[in-house]
This record gives sequence, structure tokens and C-alpha cells, in this order.
Amino acid sequence: MGNTPSAEAKAGWTLVSPPAIYVLLMLAAPLLLVFGLSFAGLEGGAKVSLPLQEGQDLHFTLSNYAKLFCWSASDTCSSTDVRMAQATATAMGRSLLVAALVTLTTVLLAYPVAYYVSFHVHPSKKSLWLFLITIPFWTSYVIRVALWRTILGYDGAVDAALGAVGIIDQPLNLLQYGTLAIVITLSHAYAPFAVLPIFVSLEKVDRSLLEAGQDLGESRWTTFLRVTLPLSMAGVVAAVLIVFIPTVGDYVTPELIGSGKVPMIANFIETQMWKLRNQAMGSTLAVSSMLIVAVVATLFVLANRRFLGGRK
Amino acid sequence: MKQGLGLRTYTVIYLLVLYGPIIILPLFAFNDATTVAFPLSGFTTKWFGQMLADANLRKALVNSLIVSLSTATLATTLGILAARSAVRYSWPGKGIVMGSIMVPLVLPEMIVAMALLVLLLAAGIKLSLFTIILGHVLIAMPFAVAILSSAFQSLDKSLEEAALDLGETGWSTFRLIVLPLVMPGILASFLITFTISIDEFIIANFLGGGEPVLSVFVFTAFRFPSTVPPVLALGTMLVAFSILLLTIAEYFRRRGVAKAGGKDTGGFL
Amino acid sequence: MTTPEEKPVMIEFRDVHKYYGDYHALRGINGTIRAGEFFSLLGPSGCGKTTLLRTIAGFEDISSGAVLIDGKSMQGVPANVRPTNMVFQSYAIFPHMSVAENVGFGLRKDPRSKPEKAKAVEEALEMVGLKGYGGRAAHALSGGQRQRVALARALILKPKVLLLDEPLSALDKKMREHMQVELIKLQRQVGITFILVTHDQEEALVMSDRIAVMFEGEIAQLADPETLYRRPNSKKVADFIGTMNFVPCEILSEAGGKVEVEAKGLGRVTLDGTQAPPARGETPVVGLRPETLTLLYDGQQASDRATEGVVDEVIYFGDMTYYDVYLGGTDVEVRLSMRNVPGRPILDVGSKVQVAWSPDALVLFR
Repeated sequence: MGNTPSAEAKAGWTLVSPPAIYVLLMLAAPLLLVFGLSFAGLEGGAKVSLPLQEGQDLHFTLSNYAKLFCWSASDTCSSTDVRMAQATATAMGRSLLVAALVTLTTVLLAYPVAYYVSFHVHPSKKSLWLFLITIPFWTSYVIRVALWRTILGYDGAVDAALGAVGIIDQPLNLLQYGTLAIVITLSHAYAPFAVLPIFVSLEKVDRSLLEAGQDLGESRWTTFLRVTLPLSMAGVVAAVLIVFIPTVGDYVTPELIGSGKVPMIANFIETQMWKLRNQAMGSTLAVSSMLIVAVVATLFVLANRRFLGGRK
Repeated sequence: MKQGLGLRTYTVIYLLVLYGPIIILPLFAFNDATTVAFPLSGFTTKWFGQMLADANLRKALVNSLIVSLSTATLATTLGILAARSAVRYSWPGKGIVMGSIMVPLVLPEMIVAMALLVLLLAAGIKLSLFTIILGHVLIAMPFAVAILSSAFQSLDKSLEEAALDLGETGWSTFRLIVLPLVMPGILASFLITFTISIDEFIIANFLGGGEPVLSVFVFTAFRFPSTVPPVLALGTMLVAFSILLLTIAEYFRRRGVAKAGGKDTGGFL
Repeated sequence: MTTPEEKPVMIEFRDVHKYYGDYHALRGINGTIRAGEFFSLLGPSGCGKTTLLRTIAGFEDISSGAVLIDGKSMQGVPANVRPTNMVFQSYAIFPHMSVAENVGFGLRKDPRSKPEKAKAVEEALEMVGLKGYGGRAAHALSGGQRQRVALARALILKPKVLLLDEPLSALDKKMREHMQVELIKLQRQVGITFILVTHDQEEALVMSDRIAVMFEGEIAQLADPETLYRRPNSKKVADFIGTMNFVPCEILSEAGGKVEVEAKGLGRVTLDGTQAPPARGETPVVGLRPETLTLLYDGQQASDRATEGVVDEVIYFGDMTYYDVYLGGTDVEVRLSMRNVPGRPILDVGSKVQVAWSPDALVLFR
């Protein structure tokens, strides 16, 4: 029993070293490489395509980042660069907008579900309900996204249902409204992600506080607003982050639902990294988008920090 | 309770919408029409036959099984080490190391895939099924660690001390007491990481070097209308298989909690 | 009560210190526990009693000093080869094994044959009153039954010392009292050293041959139950064990082991000075237990001394009544207990009373 601090630390480190080394090699090293490549350039501005050819030497440059700010043609910005910068900015803006809408939708729709399971379901049945909510999340993402094509598309389930009850006489074909279709699909895909953290935070709410609230003359509704909701905000913040961050970087949905016509930032990163084999520019896009997401997420957490005070 | 009834109705509708696509999937998989549109025209199993006759698909299936079994084994093994170390011992830097292991949970998969791609290209490693496994282990490990941590946490430390006290060594204690009690968690972790790997698309698509796997097969097939009905049949089977695995995993997870004498506090995450 | 002084030393602590980082959990523990003794480590939570027990078992290393079992230093000896076995607070019954598998767990490397081992298990179960329970699943047992399984599992290895970490704290009051008696009987039957950790002073007084009272990593007093109760060596020990009234006093003179004090409300008393350790800079007080004070009813005479008082509070307990009484026109209040016997009325608040006491029952703390 190593219970002196050093013996215990040694045992702990020995055990954790294989997974730690794995993460170091497979996550930390690649991310660092991407960060480095985002500042890399070749003689004459040729694209950086790995693995490097004989005689190619990388140098430090900010030109990759500068290209993202080519709003008008100039000495350093060709007209292609300008079109590229505008398209990238549009895609980034669309990604943020889509992610914000998806986050808003999922969290608002998920809260009552989490509340119901936490407050109205018998404790012995709670894990069954959670299981039912999480199952769809574990089935193939590609299949679920692809299915929305058939649901939202021309003569799909939505058109069939609305047509049957006589609300519409022409098929809506919601799929043609690219961004809207992407928002619907992603909201559906990330729904369980929003339910779980809110549920966990609601579970932690001391039930006697609610009785105290009502005992002090609050109605059910005002007790909810003044006691339950603030106490569960930590879960709401977690839900927002856990939905927002992956949706900003979603790739499959714009490809399958938007048919590539309404690309998001991940599709741009893929184009540079994979199709164009321009890994320096791809890295620049990856780093910039992660930076933007990190800033947005930090601002959001800061704006809500009064709710997070009591949390470790 | 009146308020409860309203919420209950809402939750049931929410669940139905959540399951909508999965319910629609078999409808069209058995529908006797080449286009995927309402109204349904008739019952057929020919899409399943067509699917099973596809040699590419069989190749993809074998590849997927290789990738997913390897991923599940590796991720669960690494997960056991990390979870055991984090739950059982205190050591400096635990927050950073465990946090880093969990990072892929909040990184967009495209970033993970592209970062790995850059590294592999730079190191001159050829893309293959093996490189898919490298990526899948990375994204599956957080789930393994989460499941296994709760399995190790529900294990009363005094059980291990009791075994030592009764004359067992550290290793035989692990074998006789710890392993049997966390075995349900290990099985749950194996099944979950298997499911994650077999369903994963982005890493499989970009790090596979053109080797076909199921998720890439499905993605490609959905882009061409003529191949959609057979792929719906494949999807039906994949979803059914996933749900089966998950149900088994949940069963083991719960049994593990009950066995270790703990209280069930919720789902996988 | 046995006379443990004649028996050989089983466990010896030599200036044992234990640090957790900066936290000083054990601060120089010295003392011996004798073979066949029922010994208790008593103290509030966080006093180090469990840590001390675990240094005997081998679950905690010590930072300095030595722990000896049967004359041998336990430095570097791991838990699995020490001649001690433990009953855990949570009982630590292996949930995936049957009762018999639990009890026989420690016999895995025992060279005896299977039937012999099975017989040993059956005997151990019989000893703790669980005969025929061997086939049951461990997780289906009640709290009291788990405790018995834990006892049988530890005793089957015939350890020199049985360590019990708060073994009764998870049981309800009735079951706890029942198990106290069972444990005493069991200890007499097997004759080995039992070391019990408890925060329950009553439990320690009932069960132990000797008790070490611990506060903040130190042994405050190590004595038999009667000495501990009648002659506590500090206000802290007196306060922890039972109830004690403290009356401020002034030391008038000291000679030949006798101390003369002026106790507020009680008057001038000569006390045995040896029971009060040398001055620690605290204001001197005399302590008296509630049951050593008596109310005098009409026609009763004080056998020793008596003081006037006024009843301030009456607390009725069924078999007893507690009175809080102001002594002799002062603001000093003492609590005393009277047994409720037929014909003895319960007094009212404000009654003027005579309180009888004996200087022998007084303890001086300074």
C-alpha cells in the first residue's frame, strides 16, 4: 500500500503513463504541429503539402493569416485570395450562426425533458428514461443525418404529413432551404447532449430548498424561476458548450443535407487539408476557427460566471 | 399531478421526434420503391438481398469489424489504466492529464482528424486501417474512461484492503476482487467503444487511405439515389445492432453498479 | 476485569508520528497493548484513532517512530503478512462471493485439504452464530449478519490481534447493544487481543479492559474505564466521557499531596492533589459528576457536606430526573441526577433545595 505521497504518486503515474503517452503522441503532438504549420510557408509562396519534397524548407510567416483578411485586391492579395477570404468569412459566420441556433433550440427543448425526468420520474425509472433518451445518439450519425434528407426532402415525411392534414398543397421541400435544414438536422442530432448535463445539475438541486421556497410563499412557477433555474444554470452552461463546440465544427450535415452548397468551416478546413493538399492554409483555418470558438465559449462562461460560483 | 402530466406529454413527444428517423428507416428499407418518398408502395425484402450480395459491402464489413474490435480493445485497456490511476491514487498533474484524455469529447472531430492527418503525413506513415484505429482509440478513450471511472468509483476501497489484510498480494487482490467487480464496467466500455468506432465517419473517411469501412460506404451510397434503398437496409441492420449492443452494455453497467453495492445514478455520460 | 498488567506486551507504540503532507495526524504516540486485552481507541472524529489502528494493520505507513507487534518491528512489513486481521467499518464483505467464500477467503493458500477448510469455515460461522448460512449470497445479508461474516472471516485466520474499526456504528441502537455483549463474549472465547476504534464513549466503557482517549493526534489518557470515569486527568477527557460539572475554585494552599481550595458555592475543601496533574496554566476548577450530587428531601441528613441551592431547570427522563441547580446564592450552576423512586416528588423550578456531596468525589483540574 503506497500511502506516502511519493509512493502513491509513482504508482499513479506508472498506471496512467500508457494512456497519457498515447494522448501526448496522438493529440498534443498533432495539435502542436497544426499550430506550427499555420505559421509555415515555402519559398515563393508555394503551398505547403506534406510530406515535404527534397529541398523544400519551411519558414515562419504570417501570410497564411494575412490571407484571411484579404477583403480587397492589393499587391499581396490576388482576386482569388479575396474570393477565398470572403467565402471563408461567410462559412465561419454561418457556422457560428448555425451553432448558435442549434444550441438555442436544443437547450430550450431539452430543459423541460431534463426537468421532467429529474422531478417527476420515480428514482428507480430515471436511468431507463435517460437510456431511452441517449439511444438515438449512439446509433450511426451518418445514417441519422442522411435520413433527414428523406424526411425534409421533396415528398419526404414532413411534406407527406403536412399534405395529408391539408396544411400545404405544394411540397415544401425544406431541404432546399439549406441552412434551415442543417439547423433542424443538427438540433435533432445533439438533443441528448443537451438533456444530460441539465439533468445532472437538476438532480443536485436540494429538494428541501424548493419546499422552503414554497413555504416562504412563492408559487410553483416563481419557485422555479427564483430557486430551481438559477441552481441548474451550471448544467445549462455545460449543455450550451457541449452542443455549441461540436456543431460549429460539423462536417457531415452540410455535406449530406446542404449537398455541399452551404459549406461550414469544417468543410473549408477539409478542402484545404485534403482536397487541395494545402496543409499550412488548412492549419491556419483550423487554428483560427478554434480560437474564435474558444473566445465565444469563454465570453459565454464569463457572462454566466455568477451561476457557476459554487461549483468546483 | 397536473403539471407533471403536461411535462410528461411533452417528453413523450420529444422522445418520438428523437426516434423519428430511426422509426422511418425500416419503413423505407422494406418499401418496394426505388425512390424514398411517401406514400409507401409495398413490402419487400429485396433491398436486404441486394445489400448482402454486394462484395464491396462485405469488404467494408470485415474492415469495420477489424477496426472496431481493435479500437474497443485498445481504448478499454488504456481506459482501465487511466480510470484506475485517477480513482485509486492521488498524484500531481492529475487534472491536466485526465483533462487532456477527455479533450476529444469537446473537439470537433474534423479538427482531430485533420491534426492526425497532418502528423501522419509529416511522419510519412501510410494511411490504412491501422491509422483509423489510432484516431478511433483517441476519440473512444474518453467514453471508456468515463464508464470505467464510475465502475472503479463504486468499488469500496476497503474491499481491497480486506483482501490484503487476509493475506493476498496487490496483484492477486486485483485479480480476485477488483477485476470481477469492475468486469461489467469493462464489458460496457468495450461495447460502447465498439459502437463509437463502427459508427464513426470522419476519421474513417480521411485516415483510411481508401480502405472501405461501413460508415464511409453508407455516406457514399446516400449521395447516389439509386443506391439509397439497399443502404437503408444496411442502416436498419446497423441501427438494430447498435441498439442491441447498447442494451447489453446498459445491462452490464447496471449489474456492475448493483454488484458493487452502489446506487444507480444515471446513464453513461 | 482481568489484570492485563501480568500479560506480555502484544503491541508497542514508540513515539509514532504520521504526516499527511503538512497535516500532523499522529503526534508522538507511546503506549503498550497487552496480549488478550480488549483495548479501545476512543476519541472524536479526526482525532487519529482510525489512522493509529491502520498503522497496526499496515494500511498506513508511519513517518517516524516504531510500531511493534509481538516484539517485532513492523517497519516495511506489508499488511498481508502481519499477524493482524481487521473488521472494517463498512464490513467490506466481497459482494460477488457467498458467505462461505467470504469467510474462507483467507484460506486460499492454506495447505489444508478442501473438506478441512470447509469444516473450518463452518466452525467459524458457528462461532459467530451463523451456522448454516454458508451458501447464502453475501449481498443478501442484513447489517448485523454482515458484521458477523466479517468477524468470522477475520478470526478464521487465528490472528494475534483483531482490529475493529467502528464495527458497530452502522447498526441500530438495539442491535448495537446486543453486539457489544456478543463481542465481549467472543473475545473471552478466543482469548486474543481485540483493538476497537470507537467514538462512542459508552461503548468503550462497556467493552474495554483499557481505553486510550485521543484528541488531535495525541493520547490524552490511557487507563481502565473506572479510572477514566472517576479520575480523568484533564477537563477535556472529563468532558468527553460522560457529563461533568465544573465549579471554579481558588487554590489556597498545597502541602503533602493535599490541596486546599475555595470552590465557588461549595466552600473550602481539601482535595487529593495527585489526581490533578501539574499546572497547565488553565484556571483551576473542581469537577463533579451529576450522580455524585444528591438532593436532600425532608428529614434527610447529609452524610458528608451539603450546600443550599435553587432549582433552575427540571428535565424529566422517565427513570431519572435531571435538575440544574444554582449553588449557594451564586451564579454557578450544576446538573445533578436523581433516580425517580416511588414517593419521591419531582421538584418545581424555583424550589429551594439542599444539595449533598462528598469531597471524595471531587476532581481538581488546573
